[in-house]
Amino acid sequence: MSKSITVKEKYPPGDFAIWIIIYVELVTFALLFLGYAFSRRSHIEMFNDSQLLLNQTSGFINTLILITSSYFVVKAVKSVTSMTKESIKESNLRASKWLLYAIMCGIAFLVIKLSEFIHIFGQGITLSTNKFFMFYLLLTVFHFMHVLLGSIILFNIYKKTKIHGYMPDDYKGFETGASYWHMVDLLWIVLFPLVYIIR
Amino acid sequence: MKRTLEYVWIILVILTIFAYLLGYLKLISTSLVGILLISTFIKGQLVIDYFMGLKTVQLKYRLIPTIWLGIVISLIAVAYYLPVAATH
Repeated sequence: MSKSITVKEKYPPGDFAIWIIIYVELVTFALLFLGYAFSRRSHIEMFNDSQLLLNQTSGFINTLILITSSYFVVKAVKSVTSMTKESIKESNLRASKWLLYAIMCGIAFLVIKLSEFIHIFGQGITLSTNKFFMFYLLLTVFHFMHVLLGSIILFNIYKKTKIHGYMPDDYKGFETGASYWHMVDLLWIVLFPLVYIIR
Repeated sequence: MKRTLEYVWIILVILTIFAYLLGYLKLISTSLVGILLISTFIKGQLVIDYFMGLKTVQLKYRLIPTIWLGIVISLIAVAYYLPVAATH
């Protein structure tokens, strides 16, 4: 019987500082998620009625978009981490292709979310309308800003891949940006069922 | 093993469609919320392991987001299932 032994990496991918940021962001969002969940207990009917005003389909499409963009980003990361000295140009170009797809997904997410915000604000809904919309707007606007920042980060990585800027021994910045993007995806994976589905 | 990422993506898509259909077809019920939360945990763990790449990193770094996810999902379940005290 053969047994494969996997040697574990000592540190997570990317700059260690990004992991501190990621852990802090996770805790911040956790407080908002739980604030929503426990506030709902005292206003169940109002939360259920308000939730009906949300567009579940756009939330669903945005979830698919973020999951797919994360997949594209992993493919881009694999392109650079498997790079050799002979394949620098080719690997950077392959990574840039995957990143471009991921950025397009990021933009699609932002456009869909913006249209959702326009619809919500068009109905005169604000932070002070009720507790449901207070949490909805806090969570989704905060998350929207993270997607925006993540897209900008991915675009900067993309620009560097276009000039073949990543080397076999220098791609930490790439992994750092990718880790941030996956965090944005992870947060939405919890946000979508909590705010759009559970009632 | 070569297609692991593709399989992960497919599972994520299927679980997302499952969640959407529960909401869209108004099938969401007390018991299905539990299943939905479990499927959300699975989705999150797949992202942590395969997209964030923490499956191949020392356990402590993988455990931090896993414990975060477990606590958040469990407390959401508590908030949902704990009986609401009657108000006077």
